[in-house]
Amino acid sequence: MKLILSDRPLNVKIKSDAIPCVDLSSLKIANCMGCFGCWVKTPGKCVIRDDAVKIYPLIAKSDAVLYVSRIRYGGYDTPMKTMLERAIPVQQAFIRLFHGETHHIQRAVTPKKATILVYNQVSDEEKEVFQSLVARNAHNMCFASYRVVFTTEAQLENVVANEVKKWEAS
Amino acid sequence: MGSILILNGSPRAPRSNSKRYAALFSENCKARTAYFNISSKNHVELCSKLEEFSDLLLVFPLYADGIPVTLLNFLKTLEQNPPANKPNVSVLVNCGFLESRQNDVAVRMIGLFCRQNGYRFGSVLKIGSGEAILDTPFRLLVLWKIKKLAASIQSAKYCTLQTTMPLSKKMFLKASTAYWTNFGKRNGITKEQMETMQIEK
Repeated sequence: MKLILSDRPLNVKIKSDAIPCVDLSSLKIANCMGCFGCWVKTPGKCVIRDDAVKIYPLIAKSDAVLYVSRIRYGGYDTPMKTMLERAIPVQQAFIRLFHGETHHIQRAVTPKKATILVYNQVSDEEKEVFQSLVARNAHNMCFASYRVVFTTEAQLENVVANEVKKWEAS
Repeated sequence: MGSILILNGSPRAPRSNSKRYAALFSENCKARTAYFNISSKNHVELCSKLEEFSDLLLVFPLYADGIPVTLLNFLKTLEQNPPANKPNVSVLVNCGFLESRQNDVAVRMIGLFCRQNGYRFGSVLKIGSGEAILDTPFRLLVLWKIKKLAASIQSAKYCTLQTTMPLSKKMFLKASTAYWTNFGKRNGITKEQMETMQIEK
């Protein structure tokens, strides 16, 4: 399956029912408490039973994801970052070697093609920091491949629509 | 000599490793220090406290490859409520992985915040194997680097430091597996249960 996660409502037509589009700003998602409950008490399940528990299984199942987020200090802004932090039940506490570095073992997470679409006016330095962040995410979030697209708020929905068209045509 | 405000950006600040790192810093710093946890309700209060200090030390864990949301949200408030006299900003970051360099992106994020908002960026201490290192004999390595971090901030001779357990990757995997297995055991969960591949089932 494919999945769109956005930090804002998107007015984009999606023909296929097989592409859920989740507006994180409409959901109730608390901050991760760092309790490690999803690793050592209820493995694979977050102890906070809010809307995040519906989203991370979708992330795990998807073979293609489109994440749409405002960029802030070279990273994801609050709604997307909050969700990504809450997605750690898809990993085990245990550590493996991956590309020569130590990383957490993934549970049943489908390797995915990730497109990260970020918006806001940003400097070249901020773009570079964000690219480095996504390169790290690739190791920890099971991205088989990834592409980062920078755009403006005004152009955002057009760019999303183009990405969706590519998915629908593939 | 200046004065240092230490802010803990860990989501579990009151019982965090970051709190322990911050305490070691205070104990080994000759300058005046004050320590606060960042909570969702005290951002503006902390912004106003910054007026009284020459330096700010942000202590936090790596979360999803970057700075935790707890700290991100504080920085957004600080951007809106800047102190008249901006302190120099230093970083003490830890991650559970062996490689301290996995903290680099989070450090660059703080550097970016500083440049975007007119703060001088100070010293950095990046700690690998930060979940467990304080409860091992390698604690002394952390202590040594924290002393160096404190001296660099006190003297405004800023620098970048790092430390981790001096173990081979193979040894680290073995040690971390034992650490997490014992963590599960204390909660009545077996290693096999922790290794489930199922998500939300």
